[in-house]
Amino acid sequence: MPFRETFWNIPHWAEIGQYILGLLTILVFAYGVFRRVKRWRMGQPEKRFDQIGKRLWSVLVDAFGQARTAQDAYAGIMHLTIFWGMVALFIGTALATVDWDVTHLFFGFQFLINGAYILYELILDIFGVLLLVGLGMAVYRRYFIRPPRLQPATAWQNALAQNVDRDDAYALVMLTLITLSGYFVEGLRIAVSKPEWSPWSPVGNALASWFIVTGDPTNRTLHLTLWTIHILVAFILIASIPFTKLFHILAAPLNIFFRSMQPAGTLIPARNDDQVGVKEWRDFTWKQLLDFEACVRCGRCQDACPAFASGASLSPRNFIISLKTHLWDTSSGHRLHGDVISSKELWACTSCRACVQVCPIFVDHLASIVDMRRYLVNEGEIDALLQKTLANLGRYGNSFGQSERLRVKWTQPIQAVIKDARKEAVEYLWFVGDYASYHVMFSDITRKTAQVFQKADLDFGILYDAERNTGNDVRRVGEEGLYESLVEKNAAVMSKCKYNTIVTTDPHTYNTLKNEYPANGNNHPVLHYTELLDQLIAAGKLQINKKLNYKVTYHDPCYLGRYNGIYDAPRRIIRALGCELTEMPRHGDRAFCCGAGGGKIWMEEQPEVKERPAESRVREAAGIPGVSTLVTTCPKDLVMFCDAVKTAGLEGKILVKDLIELVDEAM
Amino acid sequence: MNVVALFKLVPDLVEELEIDQSGTALNTDFLRLIINELDDHAIEQAILLKERSGARMTVIGSDAEGADDVLYTAVAKGADQLIKLMGDPNAVINNHAMARATAIVLKELQPDLILTGVQAHNDLDGSIGPLVAEYLGMPYVGYVSGVNVQNGRIVVRKEYPGGLIAEMEVDLPAVVGIQSAEQPPRYVTVNKVRQAMKTAAIEERPLPALDVSGGAAIRRMFKPESATRAKMIEGSTEEVTARLLDIFKEIGAL
Ligand code: SF4
Ligand code: SF4
Repeated sequence: MPFRETFWNIPHWAEIGQYILGLLTILVFAYGVFRRVKRWRMGQPEKRFDQIGKRLWSVLVDAFGQARTAQDAYAGIMHLTIFWGMVALFIGTALATVDWDVTHLFFGFQFLINGAYILYELILDIFGVLLLVGLGMAVYRRYFIRPPRLQPATAWQNALAQNVDRDDAYALVMLTLITLSGYFVEGLRIAVSKPEWSPWSPVGNALASWFIVTGDPTNRTLHLTLWTIHILVAFILIASIPFTKLFHILAAPLNIFFRSMQPAGTLIPARNDDQVGVKEWRDFTWKQLLDFEACVRCGRCQDACPAFASGASLSPRNFIISLKTHLWDTSSGHRLHGDVISSKELWACTSCRACVQVCPIFVDHLASIVDMRRYLVNEGEIDALLQKTLANLGRYGNSFGQSERLRVKWTQPIQAVIKDARKEAVEYLWFVGDYASYHVMFSDITRKTAQVFQKADLDFGILYDAERNTGNDVRRVGEEGLYESLVEKNAAVMSKCKYNTIVTTDPHTYNTLKNEYPANGNNHPVLHYTELLDQLIAAGKLQINKKLNYKVTYHDPCYLGRYNGIYDAPRRIIRALGCELTEMPRHGDRAFCCGAGGGKIWMEEQPEVKERPAESRVREAAGIPGVSTLVTTCPKDLVMFCDAVKTAGLEGKILVKDLIELVDEAM
Repeated sequence: MNVVALFKLVPDLVEELEIDQSGTALNTDFLRLIINELDDHAIEQAILLKERSGARMTVIGSDAEGADDVLYTAVAKGADQLIKLMGDPNAVINNHAMARATAIVLKELQPDLILTGVQAHNDLDGSIGPLVAEYLGMPYVGYVSGVNVQNGRIVVRKEYPGGLIAEMEVDLPAVVGIQSAEQPPRYVTVNKVRQAMKTAAIEERPLPALDVSGGAAIRRMFKPESATRAKMIEGSTEEVTARLLDIFKEIGAL
């Protein structure tokens, strides 16, 4: 009858010793976890216990299923094999222990017998191989391919770089040791006891053949020695989980469970009444502290970050690692602002959310960046251009520092009068936005938008000189009070208007109106103009008379794509116009930011920047054979890209157009 | 030490200026006021002095739309006392009158140092600083871009054209006209200003009677007349030169 004496060749003292060691391990483990949790609880309160069902589902999909981890093929296979290999072996070991020391010892029966036992051995052997494959891939990648995202930052001090290196190596060494010693224990047991079902443990069986030469008493001694090593490594590994990188086994699912369940476009408001933001690490919420602690340093966020790619000093990975290190650094006296995180890093962020989107464990870098920016703004530590812009926004309600009355200057050449939504009821309240209203490059395009709306017989109106910047980027700069005052002004006007739906030109405007204004009492649906046109085309209300036949590529604006998941509407319109759409390598939720968001368009260029994100993006577009036009749906994109086409010397190679221009042309 | 910063509100050039029916004043319908930029620097310089040397700092301005904002912003930056002079300061655009009136208020406050912007774009009869100094019998230095307190006196830094910089010791009390503060006026968040509104009090004092003597009287106010008199001379360098010489001869300049 196939079965296994779990503690074969293990003297009684060793078996008992194992349990004592196990108890000790649990104690150390528990202490380690307690110590971590205690630290998180030193942060500020934050409610993250709502929607438990959704949260559990996310843990299932994203922690156990590792949906995001798998999006990167190599790393995905590597991690999934290690993860499932370890899970299977852990369960296997637990089963064997229960089988022998619980059911067999107390109740006199075993369940790992006959077919079940053979299947058990086979499965464990296979998972062990998978685990070794994963570990091999990890070692190969980390030490031979050496991708930049796994390398220490140049700014790190030696001690930090060494710690990180050791921690990374430790996890790999321990996992490899545990697997190999396990196999050898199995091989030696088979070599001595030679059960007839040993072919069902193919790896163990193969190893057993090596030990024929050494023969019995030696093999028994070897077996006991390796068993002891196996047990020791296993317990050390478990005990060390809360003290090493392995802690992500716990922290990652926790972080996924407690992630924000709000729409991506809803920023967490400044907490304290005085809105001073985060000055010291304890000003972060416990959830933000958990973010820092859960990070596995995979570097995916760094790879996705436009600020990092441009050469600026920000890497979202390093940002999180520095914060985590600071959390436990009680002796150096480093200050959070200045010593740990520089204002340059904080101001380099474009709020594009690429980092948040790719993080396999749902770290929200941006929430922490904005919280720290709030402190800088409160201290007045902002560059001159940004200061001027904020002052303009406070005084004139627009970032251009122009009179409110000039907001509607673009309407002047238009024949038909555009309705004043403050005076008459309209179906669509068109929120034009600062860039579309004031920027010289855009006024013609805004007129075309009006034309398209008019041709589609849309009942729409605008707020004329009462419209104010909606504050999307003001908020992400960290000026919460100014954001609130802009919201108040807009809300005051809007509350007096009669309309059904809001439509916007600008994705930034769209984002805050849709995701942040509802908190202020505005419950009307909000559409980006591409959504509206898409609906109109589908309903046959927008006549397309001309097929355009252009070969184009499309840039997803961050605040339309990643923030609000609108990828298809603009693409459907492009196709409806008869254009041939070729995607850039970085598209959809991987689209590369133009570099304007989060107030960056109002700041001075940082001297470290080598290639501006917009230039990188237009080069990407121009690099697609046959594509003549880069289409976008955000006024800031248009301004950034047109400029970048000039500075990158691509004039004549690629045109930049807003989608509405194409729609207008085709009507 | 008592430091006073004086400010005035001037027309914001973001709006197009219009001249009213009388032809001697601006149309106030669309007029929008903003703090005179150099007065903002004077306030910043006063705050810096307070931070460095622990002065007590008072900000004084006349009642006009936006004056409260300026005062609350100043308190959010660190000012101690806010005084608003009630009355219509725009009844006259006359720095002589304003300086006399302000001097009366200033005397009571017994300041050691008075800072104000060295000029404003709507000054018609000279800048206000030297006038205030004259009526108070204090020394005045203008075009200053840095002030330090040293042994009961101040050392001011003044920049001259050609990269020359002078440092002068001035006895107190004194009036200083600020060209620029040592650092650009700082940003204060809307929230800080709102908090200041809740806690700070603006002291309202009557604007003493305005005596306009010595100032300028406006006879006519008008926009620069645009004309199309300019002619562009085109062609090669030789052609342009030859044409220029002809013109000079024609008008008798050669
Ligand atoms: S939001 Fe964008 S720019 Fe900011 S850190 Fe993340 S990836 Fe970088
Ligand atoms: S924050 Fe997330 S994506 Fe970035 S290194 Fe850490 S785990 Fe990876």
